[in-house]
Amino acid sequence: MSEPLALVTTGLSKSYRTGHIIQGRRPALQDLDLEVRTGEIFGYVGPNGSGKTTTLKLLTGLLKPDRGDARVLGEPLASRAWRFRAGYLPEHPYLYDYLTAAEYLDYAGRLFGLAASVRRERTRSLLALVGLERSADLPLRRFSKGMVQRAGLAQALVNDPELVILDEPMSGLDPIGRRLVRDIILGLRKAGKTVFFSTHILSDAEALCDRVAVLRAGRLLKVGALGDLLRIDVEHMEIFVSGVAPDAPGLGAMRRERVGDRLRIEVEERELGRAVAAVEAAGGRVLSVQPVRQTLEDYFFREMGAATGGAAAWGEG
Amino acid sequence: MSRLLAVAANTFRETVRERVLYNLVFFAILMTLSGLLLGQLSIRQDEKILKDIGLAAMDLFGVLIAVFMGTGLVSKEIERRSLYPLLAKPLTRGEFFLGKFAGLAFTLLVNLAVMTAGLYLTLLATGRRPDPGLLAAIYPILLGLLLVVAFAMLFSTVTSSAMAAVLTVGVAVAGRFTDVVRNMREVAPGTPPWLSEALYSLLPNFRNFDFKDRVAYGDAVGGDVLVWVTAYAVAWIGVVLGLGLASFRSRDFQ
Repeated sequence: MSEPLALVTTGLSKSYRTGHIIQGRRPALQDLDLEVRTGEIFGYVGPNGSGKTTTLKLLTGLLKPDRGDARVLGEPLASRAWRFRAGYLPEHPYLYDYLTAAEYLDYAGRLFGLAASVRRERTRSLLALVGLERSADLPLRRFSKGMVQRAGLAQALVNDPELVILDEPMSGLDPIGRRLVRDIILGLRKAGKTVFFSTHILSDAEALCDRVAVLRAGRLLKVGALGDLLRIDVEHMEIFVSGVAPDAPGLGAMRRERVGDRLRIEVEERELGRAVAAVEAAGGRVLSVQPVRQTLEDYFFREMGAATGGAAAWGEG
Repeated sequence: MSRLLAVAANTFRETVRERVLYNLVFFAILMTLSGLLLGQLSIRQDEKILKDIGLAAMDLFGVLIAVFMGTGLVSKEIERRSLYPLLAKPLTRGEFFLGKFAGLAFTLLVNLAVMTAGLYLTLLATGRRPDPGLLAAIYPILLGLLLVVAFAMLFSTVTSSAMAAVLTVGVAVAGRFTDVVRNMREVAPGTPPWLSEALYSLLPNFRNFDFKDRVAYGDAVGGDVLVWVTAYAVAWIGVVLGLGLASFRSRDFQ
């Protein structure tokens, strides 16, 4: 029996109008076929302008597709029913700054038709979850960018959603905030929720996702588990040593470079024993040995960097 | 309906937390009180002048509130993208749009109630009879303000808040001179008749909401007249809000 799907898109496409006098259309998303399984954390990665936010806006009804369709939590995209069971955090959220965080969450809860007692309890627990319990009665205009981001995440969870759609959830967060959001996302999966999030920060996708989809210039490049996309075999071994000169005999053709007062040596896995023996023979000391595997970033640069200069497009956003 | 009311309640809260609202209400009350001074300069016209200025203050500052808050209701939400997390919830665009209108309508009602209380208190404080007939002029002012808000919301779905404010003021001013528009051939003979007729038909006649002079002179306004004015306002507000809603529903939020 196939796994239940939280989200399915079929040929979803969107283009934007360009120009004022002579009008054309610029494709932003082309024929997106995607399946997100229930209970997984699904990462949607790609450089700026690749169509990630467009996809999320199409799913949440902020944009209308040129063609194609989607089903969310088993319901047609146009249906209102699935919206009761989903939450959404837009990129760089702007929340009403004349409200306090608690008032905003209460308002969000009212839009789901939640009873006042439920709204009170959710507001309290969600503000605690995102670390804002002490700022509950502070107007949002006094919040820092990171605090607004966390309040935005709280409002996306106010209805205890089955599917959470997050657009760049780590954006604007400091390391502590990033860790907090990562933990929340992992907690959502543990609770059986589905998380579909876009990011251009590959380390976030790598740390969190069960599967990822890679997008380039509005087209889906690849979908799969990280293990399938990346070469999970060890690429090489990295050894840090001290007390050895770079030209020490026995190191032969091994790649090496000086890093401060240490030496970093790269060797094939099968050469590890010979390298350690050579270091000891030269009177040095092995400080650390670690296997190096391909990262999502390596994958990404390999797939799109060379051909399109995609690496250059991979800026902060 | 509960979601529409939630949006309306929040819009009311938004507007009452705007400092500009209090500034405008303050100046409206100040203008009403200035009627006391002007009344002393006239001969046996002081009560009429007080009523005239009080009603004019309600109209003028009501229009300013309707324009500046009405144009920001939707366009600011679009410019700041604050409606994104809301429209992803089970809230239709219609509920959002009409809830915004209802919220500002309630704010205008409360403002007019405050200004009306201010006018009656001024009349009482100066030993005059609080004339209930004033309400027959104040009610049509409210209808006119609601129509201004409807136009402000229509324009703010298609352009920036600044341009929407300019267009709304244009309609509110031109709507008070629709007779001039209709008879523009007398001052500009080259104007094609179809143009003056078209402009006349496209603009609501805001004079229909103006009973200030009649009431200030103590003339009664019949119930049938108020029913007709209500029907006129409802028809115009319905059409303009309908156009605004259609525009809001069809747009993409990039």
